Amino acid sequence: MKLEELQNQFQNQLLAQNCQDAGWVADSSKGLSSEFRLSIYHNAYRVRLAETLLDTFEHTANYITVELFETLAYAYIEKHPSTDTNLGMYGQHFPDYLKQELPSCQEVFEIGMMDWLLRRAFDGPDSLPLTKHKLESIVASGTDISLLKLVPTVYLYTQQWNSLDIWHAVNQDIATPKAITLPEPMTVMIWRKETSPHFRSLSYIETKAVELLQSGQSIESLCEILSEQFPDLDIATEFGQLLAHWLDDQILSSNID
Amino acid sequence: MFSFGLGLRTQHYHDFLNTQQPVDWLEILSDNYMIDGGKPLMMLDKIRELYPMVMHGVSLSIGSVNGIDKSYLKKLKALEQRVQPMWVSDHLCWSGVHGRNMHDLLPLPFTHEALKVVTRNIHQAQDALQRPLVLENVSSYLEFESSEMYEWEFLSALCRSTGCKLLLDINNIYVSAFNHGFSACDYMQGLPAESIAQFHLAGHQNNGDHMIDTHDHPVCDGVWELYRKAVKHFGFVPTMIERDDNIPPLEDLLSELNIARNIASEEINQRVPS
Repeated sequence: MKLEELQNQFQNQLLAQNCQDAGWVADSSKGLSSEFRLSIYHNAYRVRLAETLLDTFEHTANYITVELFETLAYAYIEKHPSTDTNLGMYGQHFPDYLKQELPSCQEVFEIGMMDWLLRRAFDGPDSLPLTKHKLESIVASGTDISLLKLVPTVYLYTQQWNSLDIWHAVNQDIATPKAITLPEPMTVMIWRKETSPHFRSLSYIETKAVELLQSGQSIESLCEILSEQFPDLDIATEFGQLLAHWLDDQILSSNID
Repeated sequence: MFSFGLGLRTQHYHDFLNTQQPVDWLEILSDNYMIDGGKPLMMLDKIRELYPMVMHGVSLSIGSVNGIDKSYLKKLKALEQRVQPMWVSDHLCWSGVHGRNMHDLLPLPFTHEALKVVTRNIHQAQDALQRPLVLENVSSYLEFESSEMYEWEFLSALCRSTGCKLLLDINNIYVSAFNHGFSACDYMQGLPAESIAQFHLAGHQNNGDHMIDTHDHPVCDGVWELYRKAVKHFGFVPTMIERDDNIPPLEDLLSELNIARNIASEEINQRVPS
């Protein structure tokens, strides 16, 4: 058998739900069937991916119970072969799968998204944050700052449920609150500060401001758009407060234009 | 060169940073650091300042008929430039084809066709890395009807055709010899001594009629005995304890490493005329 055909057949055996005897496997000196020996690889593939999902989505698993999580994880593995050489990237679509499989528990999807984005922030690209001192020195030098950039580990996502409270409770290993829908959707920002992932909820105006920064709008343009959308607010004051907060949080990159 | 190392694991980061530990070098799992940034790379840089390193990967898939993933190779090269390791190793195996990844060290048939494929892929990796690749023998749980030579003959041919070196995992020889019924001594005697760059020592799980390479146990007596034979046959080769699961305190691994030191010393002393 040609190598290409053999590797195809071997891989197909591992991805199939059940292993079967294969004529291309040599007889075993121990009398073990080819099905049994293939099953060692078959099981290892599933266990490895399930362990990865459990590690990445630890809070999600603890919320829905590890038993239910593993049932869902193994079903997901059957439908979603791994395509990345980086094992840690497996599970990108797992929150969507949870949403589909647990339609009456949509908060689970949101907790899964928290787990996934926190992990992405953990080993996302490095970037020196803009400090208050550096910003002041740039301003003092008379350099005009037209654009502020976010560090690359900033992620925004919107929650419809009290998932943030549930995630906190799971994290502290205390009783989780009952899942309820929020009066209005809430945006959560996830990012890495120094070496640790952080997250917090954003006000409506801050959500808009961070989205505008993400889309590459200049400061001038950002303030104009905010003025149009929030005509009752003093945008200069609001922006100054947001800027101070962002510097503390280290979400702005020192790479500025 | 008389040198002994350990695999760097996150559980021991602070042990290595806070105290200069009695190891000559550390082996890092390349794949764990082929990431964009964050704490793992920060810790790696700090520890690299204190210890020489070697790189050991699991996803190069050198035996894949589809060839090597160029983006993986690019990331590996970037890490190699960052770490400046003494050598770079991966496994004689394949991990998937057609965009799928099984995240496993799947065995190859020892055929002339596979030899050509692996030779082509090793040349590609060596051209990118600008250094000889070091390849490790894997534990396997099946063999192929189509194989035309022994594993050691296949490895020897690869060394001749590519100039690659070998990372001889003593535990993997022990496990595969048990699973397939060949002689571990025949295996070692069939390899070119000048190509052996490193030894791995590890633990496994014995299930009676087969063994699994789990790396979650201490090195067993049988593997220590085989290590003794390996030192006797190959002379001294840089050696390390490889533990990937059920990670014990660093002191336990250092104690295991001392067993390796003692065995190597005893065997080397017997080789050198007084």
